[in-house]
Amino acid sequence: MKLRKLAAAAAATALGLGTLAACGDDSGGGSSEGGSDTLTLWLAGKEDTPTDATDWLKKEFESQHDGKTLKIERIDWGELLTRLNTSLPSDKTPDVVEVGNTQAASFTSIGAFTDLTDKADELGAMGPQSFVDAGTWDDKLFAVPYYWGSRYVFYSKSAFKDAGLEVPKTLADFNAAAQQLKTDGGGDYSGFWLPGQDWRNGISWVFANGGDIAVQDGDKWVGKLSSAESIKGLTEWQQLAEKATTAPKDGKDEEPWTSFNNGEAAMFMAPSWARWSVAEDKADDLGAFALPGAESGAAPVFAGGSNLGISAKSKNQDLAFDLLKLIYSDDYQQLLAKNGLGPANDEFTSLMGDDEFAQAAITAASSSKLTPTSPEWSAVETASVMEEFFGALANGKDVAATAKATDAKLEEMLNK
Amino acid sequence: MTRKLGPYAMLLPAFAILGVALGYPLVRQLVMSFQEFGRAQQFGQPAPWVGLDNYRALFTDSTMWGVVTRSLAFCAVNVVVTMLIGTALAVLLKRVNRTARLTLQISMLLTWAMPVIAAMTSWQWLFDTRYGVINWVLTKLGFESFHHHNWLTETWSFYFVATVIVVWMSVPFVMFTVYAALTQVSDDTLEAGQLDGATAWQRFRHIVYPTIRPVLTITMLLQIVWDLRVFAQIYYLQGVGGTPSKTHLLGTYIYTLGIGQNDYAMASALAMFVLVLTLVLTSYYVRSLLKESDA
Amino acid sequence: MSRRTTGRLWSGAAILIALVWAFPVYWIVNSAFQPSDRLRSTDPAWFPVDLTGSGFGRVFDDEFLASLKLSMTVTLIAIVVAGLCAFLGAVAISRFRFRGRLQLVLVVLAIQMIPPEALFVSQYKMLDEWGMFDTVAGLGLLYIAMILPFTLWMLRGFVDGVPIELEEAAMVDGCGRIRAFFTITFPLLAPGLVASSVYGFLQAWNEFTLAVVVMSPDNRTLPLWLRGLSDVSNDAIDWPGVMAGATLVAVPVIVFFMAIQSRMTSGLVSGAVKG
Repeated sequence: MKLRKLAAAAAATALGLGTLAACGDDSGGGSSEGGSDTLTLWLAGKEDTPTDATDWLKKEFESQHDGKTLKIERIDWGELLTRLNTSLPSDKTPDVVEVGNTQAASFTSIGAFTDLTDKADELGAMGPQSFVDAGTWDDKLFAVPYYWGSRYVFYSKSAFKDAGLEVPKTLADFNAAAQQLKTDGGGDYSGFWLPGQDWRNGISWVFANGGDIAVQDGDKWVGKLSSAESIKGLTEWQQLAEKATTAPKDGKDEEPWTSFNNGEAAMFMAPSWARWSVAEDKADDLGAFALPGAESGAAPVFAGGSNLGISAKSKNQDLAFDLLKLIYSDDYQQLLAKNGLGPANDEFTSLMGDDEFAQAAITAASSSKLTPTSPEWSAVETASVMEEFFGALANGKDVAATAKATDAKLEEMLNK
Repeated sequence: MTRKLGPYAMLLPAFAILGVALGYPLVRQLVMSFQEFGRAQQFGQPAPWVGLDNYRALFTDSTMWGVVTRSLAFCAVNVVVTMLIGTALAVLLKRVNRTARLTLQISMLLTWAMPVIAAMTSWQWLFDTRYGVINWVLTKLGFESFHHHNWLTETWSFYFVATVIVVWMSVPFVMFTVYAALTQVSDDTLEAGQLDGATAWQRFRHIVYPTIRPVLTITMLLQIVWDLRVFAQIYYLQGVGGTPSKTHLLGTYIYTLGIGQNDYAMASALAMFVLVLTLVLTSYYVRSLLKESDA
Repeated sequence: MSRRTTGRLWSGAAILIALVWAFPVYWIVNSAFQPSDRLRSTDPAWFPVDLTGSGFGRVFDDEFLASLKLSMTVTLIAIVVAGLCAFLGAVAISRFRFRGRLQLVLVVLAIQMIPPEALFVSQYKMLDEWGMFDTVAGLGLLYIAMILPFTLWMLRGFVDGVPIELEEAAMVDGCGRIRAFFTITFPLLAPGLVASSVYGFLQAWNEFTLAVVVMSPDNRTLPLWLRGLSDVSNDAIDWPGVMAGATLVAVPVIVFFMAIQSRMTSGLVSGAVKG
């Protein structure tokens, strides 16, 4: 009898669960309805696209399309790929999505986005070219540029003054300046904060000398780190790692301003937004310039930024393209530029500002480069191949041999 | 009769839920491990059957065996240290007054409850090469060599830091669980034993240990399972320093080969492999556990 | 040395250990009150100087409260249901002899050994097909399944630790089987129930991947909210804010523990029959 009571308890629990399961949708409905009255736009990052821009976009879209709503959802970068991978193939797909420029290839290569090649002209001026390339697959344009950022060198004006240095005009000048600043500073001082595994900044030396990471030759990817030009740049970089910095040999590129804030570094290289992390009492001393090229102008650097794509499974293809047209409209492009985001339409780039920081950003972006446009590149990054490569160089390993080995690894992974 | 029905009915809810929520996904995962399933398949391409290819790729991977060995070693060290410290603290908990007990429990609970990202960042800052508190304290104590000492560059030092952190995070669970088991030990029997002249060690061995043994075994089993698969802490530390290819353990290696590359099939195959490995490792304890329960 | 002195020494040691062990946690809370540029500096910032401009103010907003509510709901559902089912199952396995018992035990153990990293893809598809995407019930179901196995496993160990002779002795005195169980054994299980529910709570509370996949971007649990604080691409991470956020995420766990600790140990154990 008692056991029957227990069994009854068990049954009741099971029943309770069944009811729970049947309860269905009892949370606040948040996902896109899928119908054609709501257009869903996924923007990455909580605040990356400023609110003025999104407000404008919503207002314009809804006023131009009577009866339709624009739903803008902010997806955190950390969740973006997981969410995209699960929702893009389903019928809950968002209509227009933002992806990081280096992530675009993973989606363009598998048909996740709609082919926009024929309609691209309707959007007008579109750049930078590296971003267009990033969004292209098989000669078809799937993801259009959204905005770009750039990275440049921040420096301590007083440190330069004390060392009698001017803003360097060539890369060789820069290298010399960095080493001199370290010697002058002595002890733990770094002329240029150069963590050993920071390849995103280090690669600029390769680019500046005409080298590259890997290029596509027909159908295959060929590693270019062991080309003569690359080796020249890498050797310069290795010199700096040895003589111009006290940064850890296995350090990464996070928070490079920390040493600067502690008065232990004269220069560091970072994306433009790093400016606001410099300590207040150092803000007046802070200056900026674009990393100089080998001969003149600016060295090609890694550009941060995003692309936009229309989900291939979206049921609102025309509406989605209208949204893209709005984003490429002069008003929106201006909004982006005024908020410090590099616009796809370079007519408005000058609106980004004219202080030395904006100038550095614009100059640096003039010759930006991206990672190889291969969907397998994310695997390379996950496996930290580039970090280990630069780390090895920072530890004094032979440049040519290490570069050759890394090239082999890259080719193996990219040609999968 | 109804007596026979009792246990099955009592187990029904649990297994119903597990069957529903895990059954289909698990079967699917097993099937996937024999297919080719990456991003393309996620987006609608058919998933070709590749039989044992994933497994073959897995076993012929030269770095794989190094990873397995390191994982086994790391697991062993961590489990032993965690169990020792956790049990010792549980015993301590029983001995002390209420204030001390509550303080220690809260301290451990805070440790346990802190989200991993905050805990890892905190530890990262403590061990920071240039500005870490640990280096600062050691240098001030006179150990000049720790000025700007890099804790993650050397692989063995990397694992030392990882062990400190993993043990730090795992001990609370062991402590709470073993303490709970200790409270089940009858105080009267202990007193009787003491009156009979048994020493503390004899009391532990003959009265305490038999009572807490099931819990100790279970806790150790769980520790083995988790420490073998440890992911977050290693992954995080790899993002701070050291050479990833030399510091991979099973958890992070699986990640780079599987989810990190959106290769779900490979991730599934790896999961199956780790399952088998874990079963083999714990077979001794599983058997002893089953023997106990039959006693 | 007198017993009292050794007792006090041990208590002192326990408190010392507690303080040292919690130092990294102290560092987290301390960091929440520091300005960003003091977090990694040549001279460590040992104490918060200015309690006003803290990270807490920046992160305590409606989004946090919404996430808190969602996490609370899903987690409580998970531990209550999983706890009940696991308890029933644990008693069944421990106190009864029946066919298939060993196999069931093995299955439960094996389930816990499977790395869950690849499961979420199939689980997402499954929930989607049932129309349970973005529902508390859907996520709750997955969480229940997540914490059930080890809760069952742990509780079984605790039930095993209470010799069946105790119940039988009470039954000799005239108690029915069930009453014997609830008056004798159940109170002794209280600390075990506390330990396993705290652990279950923590697992569900801090779970990330399933929450990302099953819920829509508008319905974020606390781990997603916290991750969001630190996942900025075009900006520096507000570490004091993240640390404050982490502290806020940890606090409910402490509250939960205190609540069940006092309820369980006093309410149940005080009525326990000794010996």
